[in-house]
Amino acid sequence: MRKTIKRASVVYVFILMILAGVGILISQFVTKGSSWATNKANAHIYSSGTVVNAGRILDRNGVVLAESKNDKRVFASGEVLRKSVLHLVGDTSGFISTGAHNLYRSQLSGYNLIDGIYRLKTSGKGSDVVLNIDSEANRIAYNAFGNYKGTIIVCNYKTAEVLCSISKPAYDVNNVPRDLQTNPNYEGVFLDKAVSGQYTPGSIMKLITAACAIENMPDVYDRTFTCDGEYKTTDGTVICNGVHGEITFGQALNQSCNCAFAQLTVELGANKLRATAEAMGFNKKLKAKEIPLTMSRFNPSTISNAELGWAGIGQSTTLINPSHFLSIIMAIANGGKGYAPDRILTMGTYGRLVPRKIDVMVNMNPETASALKSMMRSNVVDKYGDYKYPGLELCAKTGTAEIDGKTSTSVFAGFSQRSDLPLAVICFVEEAGWGSGVASSVSNTVLQYFANNYDF
Amino acid sequence: MCLSTKTKQQPEFRQVTVMVLISIFQFLSMLAVISKQEETSMNTVYVFLGYIVLEWIYMMFNVIITGKDYFELEAIAFFLSGIGLMVCATIGESYAIKQLICICLGLLTYLVLLLLIKDMRVVNALKYPAAIGSLLLLVVNLALAKVTNGARNWLELGPVSIQPSELVKVVFIFVGAVSLERLLSKKYLYLFIGYSLSCVGLLFLMRDFGTALIFFFTFIIIAYMRSGDVRTLFLICAGALMGAILIIYFKPYVANRFAAYRHVWENMDTNGYQQTRVLMYSASGGLFGLGVGEGKLRNVFAASTDLIFGMICEEMGLATGIAVLIAFACIGIFAIKAAKGSASSFYAIAAVASASLLIFQLSLNVFGVTDLLPLTGVTLPFISRGGSSIICSWGLLAYIRAAGAPFKLPAPDIAVSRKTRSRNGGVAV
Repeated sequence: MRKTIKRASVVYVFILMILAGVGILISQFVTKGSSWATNKANAHIYSSGTVVNAGRILDRNGVVLAESKNDKRVFASGEVLRKSVLHLVGDTSGFISTGAHNLYRSQLSGYNLIDGIYRLKTSGKGSDVVLNIDSEANRIAYNAFGNYKGTIIVCNYKTAEVLCSISKPAYDVNNVPRDLQTNPNYEGVFLDKAVSGQYTPGSIMKLITAACAIENMPDVYDRTFTCDGEYKTTDGTVICNGVHGEITFGQALNQSCNCAFAQLTVELGANKLRATAEAMGFNKKLKAKEIPLTMSRFNPSTISNAELGWAGIGQSTTLINPSHFLSIIMAIANGGKGYAPDRILTMGTYGRLVPRKIDVMVNMNPETASALKSMMRSNVVDKYGDYKYPGLELCAKTGTAEIDGKTSTSVFAGFSQRSDLPLAVICFVEEAGWGSGVASSVSNTVLQYFANNYDF
Repeated sequence: MCLSTKTKQQPEFRQVTVMVLISIFQFLSMLAVISKQEETSMNTVYVFLGYIVLEWIYMMFNVIITGKDYFELEAIAFFLSGIGLMVCATIGESYAIKQLICICLGLLTYLVLLLLIKDMRVVNALKYPAAIGSLLLLVVNLALAKVTNGARNWLELGPVSIQPSELVKVVFIFVGAVSLERLLSKKYLYLFIGYSLSCVGLLFLMRDFGTALIFFFTFIIIAYMRSGDVRTLFLICAGALMGAILIIYFKPYVANRFAAYRHVWENMDTNGYQQTRVLMYSASGGLFGLGVGEGKLRNVFAASTDLIFGMICEEMGLATGIAVLIAFACIGIFAIKAAKGSASSFYAIAAVASASLLIFQLSLNVFGVTDLLPLTGVTLPFISRGGSSIICSWGLLAYIRAAGAPFKLPAPDIAVSRKTRSRNGGVAV
């Protein structure tokens, strides 16, 4: 009898189990509640998988890009505007995974641990997401692309704000093409090339090779290179874009001389080059704030010198992510600190009270950055011509990425050295042909808009 | 509950405080429910007011006649049943009326059971009829019932449908506690094992896996309370485990349910449907809920029965959900206290087994729908919609109360000044 009664304490074990369960439950609510509540099956927010009730998405000037009215999602007026911000705003079904509708659905739903989605339920509004983007700049950039596909990103290298970002092809969310999934013209339309794209860099990769040379060859400024149109290695030949004769290191970058850079690459060797690239974020999974970036890949050949030479001038298997490379340009512009491009101005319930933290994505030796900056300035002054970019005081590097079986991609990367125009730009225009004309002129158009309308 | 810090000299005050708080809670529940109705249903008002009046009448009756020890236990049951009543009222007034009738039946069961088991002679006399009767009930159930949602555990009697296995839970503990009360001979032990195997076997035939598990668990608890022999328990567990593995192997239905466990989000629209909906809507509710009747989980199948915890979290908030869990923990604490002060091991075993069963079933339900345990499809005691479950919950509560403070109806010829048998220095009535 006494023993039996003593054994009643076994119930304490079950009570402890309840308490443990409560603890686990609470911790799961804290850590996963937001993703649970914003699941696509949640009928408070979604209707057959599409967002119906959520906060507004605005640009930096208060232009409403998407909002909810009467259990429906309403988008900005103007077809071109809608197309130009498509990948930033995202579709309501979440096909564009890096769009705000998908990526910031928890903030848009107004979810927080205490209230759940009560605010959304009572007001139908959730909380707003304000983008750093100037939607007018986006519209201008979209038009400047004409019929070409590609991407352009403009970012303030002092504050990390992304002011303009487009990805083409795009479609109009108010008038979704029926052949969206089948028409080859729309291939990859759900990918935001600015963050999920991978491009063969072409000559802008010479900036990385130059950085490696600056850091590993103390005498590189004293050297001269001879270019007779091609550079022969032990197992192949790298063809140049011209015959440059005898040139210095700086002139080699001005002329984008493949011979000089292939020679530098082979001398530096694959390992040093890879080390420089990886120190700048190549071959790493990076995140631009909340947005996961597709990896930039750089694996120079350790077997073939010709392949190594091609890798050093941005061909071969090298692929870069536009946002990541922009951050490298921002590092050059900003004394070695390349910030992670940030699309968000404010969001969430307390977004206005707490400023966004600026993340550093690329770290570069300040001396290297400064050397590259003057070389890039020289590119514009001595080669491309300042007159093409009136008043911008650009430092830049152009590129032409050759892709097997396709017309080349036109590439432009640069920044303004004006302290009142701290903008960096990267632009890829697909199948735009030889030379960097299209990317360079699109970049100029967009930067001129900011130079005329903003006082940074 | 333990809401008041008032001294033991004023138990009525404590009771009144608790009752007032519970009544306010339920009155506010009523206002919340009718505020959502397009046209105020007077029946809903009557149901809530009727329930509040019922509680107060019981409390008076309790103070005057049966002794107020363990009043908190009953208060917890009223609190939990009230939550269930509110959920039913948001579905429709007819559901609320049915639920109120079921709570009344539960309370009646509670009182009748308390009267019956206060005398060990009655207990002993009832053990064979109870055991045989309960087995017959299960057999009849198995023979007559149609398969509902994979299990054959509902019995339709005209307009009423009952779940006999719920009622048998109460009898099972009774039979277990009485047959193991004294180790007179091994005969009773074998008889009880035979009885248990029959119950569990019949439940397997009904494919009511969740309830079978609860019976098995209760069997272990009763065996532990009596024997305390860990080796014996291990043998039982090992045997049962092997059996369970075979069952899972042979019954794809059960295996299917287990397959989604901890992978509900990958199986959102198949085996994880209910769990994922519970999680997403519970999270939507936050700490204080979206408001009574405002939830979306109510549109999911079995929302007011198996998934009711999710409805509570969504509409009344995680705070209320946790209050429910804590309430069950309190029932457990009362059961320990009651068992330790009980007059014989029958009461101790019955109280501990009842509390353990309630907590086990609660855990299977709450942690099952939230994917911390595999989903087994059992009800949430006291709260889930449905009469059999409520009657069972109140019946089990009777064992706990009986162990701590057995019914003592005052004989008419005894003077009013007689002291009640109360361990905390009771007061004259």
